[in-house]
Amino acid sequence: MTTTTAESETLSGPPAGSLFGESAPRRRAEVVARRALRFAGRNAGIVLLGLFILAPLATLAIGAFAETWFYPSALPSQWSLSWWGQVLTTQGLSRSIELSIMFAVVSTLVSAVLCLPAAYAFGRRRFRGKTAMMMTIFAVNAFPKIGLYIALASLLYAANLMGTFAGVVVVQSLTTIVTMTWIPAGSFAAVPKPLEEAARDTGASSWRVFRTVTLPLARPGILVAVILSFLSCMDEAQGTLLVGVPNYVTMPVQMYTLIDSFPGPATAVFSVLLTLPSVVLLLVARRYLFDGTLAAGYQLR
Amino acid sequence: MSAETALPGRAPRRRGGLTGLLAAAAPAVAGLLPVLVTLVFVGLPVVLAVLYTLGYTGGLNQPESQLATHQIVAQHGLTLGAWQHIFGEPGFLENLWTTAWVTVAATVALVVVAWAIALYIRFATGFGKRIVSSLFVVPIFVPGVISSYALVTFWQNHGRLAGILYALGLHTVSLPGGTNVSVVLGLVWTNIPFGVLLIAAGLQSVPQPYVDAARDASASWFMIVRTVLFPLAKLPTLVVVTFIAVGTLGTYTIPEIMGPTSPQMLGVNMANAYTSYGQPQDAEIMAVLVFLMAIVFSVMYVRANTAEVRRLERR
Repeated sequence: MTTTTAESETLSGPPAGSLFGESAPRRRAEVVARRALRFAGRNAGIVLLGLFILAPLATLAIGAFAETWFYPSALPSQWSLSWWGQVLTTQGLSRSIELSIMFAVVSTLVSAVLCLPAAYAFGRRRFRGKTAMMMTIFAVNAFPKIGLYIALASLLYAANLMGTFAGVVVVQSLTTIVTMTWIPAGSFAAVPKPLEEAARDTGASSWRVFRTVTLPLARPGILVAVILSFLSCMDEAQGTLLVGVPNYVTMPVQMYTLIDSFPGPATAVFSVLLTLPSVVLLLVARRYLFDGTLAAGYQLR
Repeated sequence: MSAETALPGRAPRRRGGLTGLLAAAAPAVAGLLPVLVTLVFVGLPVVLAVLYTLGYTGGLNQPESQLATHQIVAQHGLTLGAWQHIFGEPGFLENLWTTAWVTVAATVALVVVAWAIALYIRFATGFGKRIVSSLFVVPIFVPGVISSYALVTFWQNHGRLAGILYALGLHTVSLPGGTNVSVVLGLVWTNIPFGVLLIAAGLQSVPQPYVDAARDASASWFMIVRTVLFPLAKLPTLVVVTFIAVGTLGTYTIPEIMGPTSPQMLGVNMANAYTSYGQPQDAEIMAVLVFLMAIVFSVMYVRANTAEVRRLERR
């Protein structure tokens, strides 16, 4: 029925002389809605994919606004914002937010200082042993994470770094080494040589060429690497749990305790809070993440 | 050279002496920095771990071995005693087997799902393409601990999905939440963006004329995928297989939050052995075991990648 009305409206068209008249947005909305319905009918696969990915997140987000929500209700029996206040004022929880940000900033910086010069060298220069060096760095990712942390713990015990700030920074920045080296190396390698040569021909110094030509062109890759590293540090829960506890309890580590010992809605509120930085930062990097910059980083050049 | 001198400013700046030497060595030195970090914080610990599992508790292993409530120490030389002991422990073989099948199941499932989504994105147009392209990236935005929690509360018995099904009149549906099947679900959910991004990038790089030519030769859609797209997207697929398999072997969060207490994956088992039961030696043995399982995949990846580099260099 709706379809026929919408179609007859389309047929009658907007009044002459107002091609962009008031009815246009409404008609467009109807067309979109109609198309969406027809689309859902024809594309059960996409609808299922959407449910598989989004439904768990949606129920978690809804849970953050529930007072209580127990099976078998499909929706919370009582709505409330009270858990937000409780979570934000619980001392340990706000401290863990601070700690997470601090560790992520320090670890990302350490990783960038160590890896970005190497990334430039790998992407831009030819030298002996380059492939062997890149492969050695890849070893960080070739070892299953939790196994690596367990093995690393013996060294950290020996160096008196277990349970220290530095120990957590070691674990967190270690996990970002491959990202911070390989992805920018890919972008540096993709900067066209003739552009650099042209700049040099006009008399620019090597530093100036790097600063005004190479760096701006490689910036997307560096940005992606920095953001991914920062987020992987923010979200790192396995190594920090092993090395930092009980002195350093970051947000993700706190989640383990919350899941076991806090009411569901409080855990849901904390989950929403912990997800926010990822959403904001990834939206910033979105354009570059999906244009192949990330994919290029996992292949050698 | 003569052509270059004819054009002023064309001559490349060449530094001689010590500065020149330094400039030439700089890239190798810069590259060495992360390499050294890797050797110290990955290479050394792995060697120490292997030695500890063989009963060597001296040197840098000493501080850790002092935490152990139970361990087997080699009197002289090395011993396989700790390995024999752990394989005799009840439930250990079951955990090992669980780790293996969850890894294979998650990797295969992810590759299939990622290929399906990537193919859809490659060939679909309009509305569907736009929806799927923004849908598959969503898991990237959610930290691992959070998604594990969201997924387990959704999939478990008497969880959120059960509530929705109850409202629809389905009162006794058995759901996988809390089993190792839900661990596989969690791994697929978490890894969809990575898998699709890499495979889709591989498919985009297949030149359209190849596909058109195959179509003109009246190849079926399946034939095109098998003979044109798959060979050209083999490397990214292999990258995905390696990263997912190694990642699964080394995951703690997903099986810890989503999985059962027994049988459990080695990642959880080793963390518990280390932190809760005071058995660092058992934990290190499990770590070495997952390293060995991961080597299979890593070797595959390195070989494929070096073959690709050689191919590019020949061009």
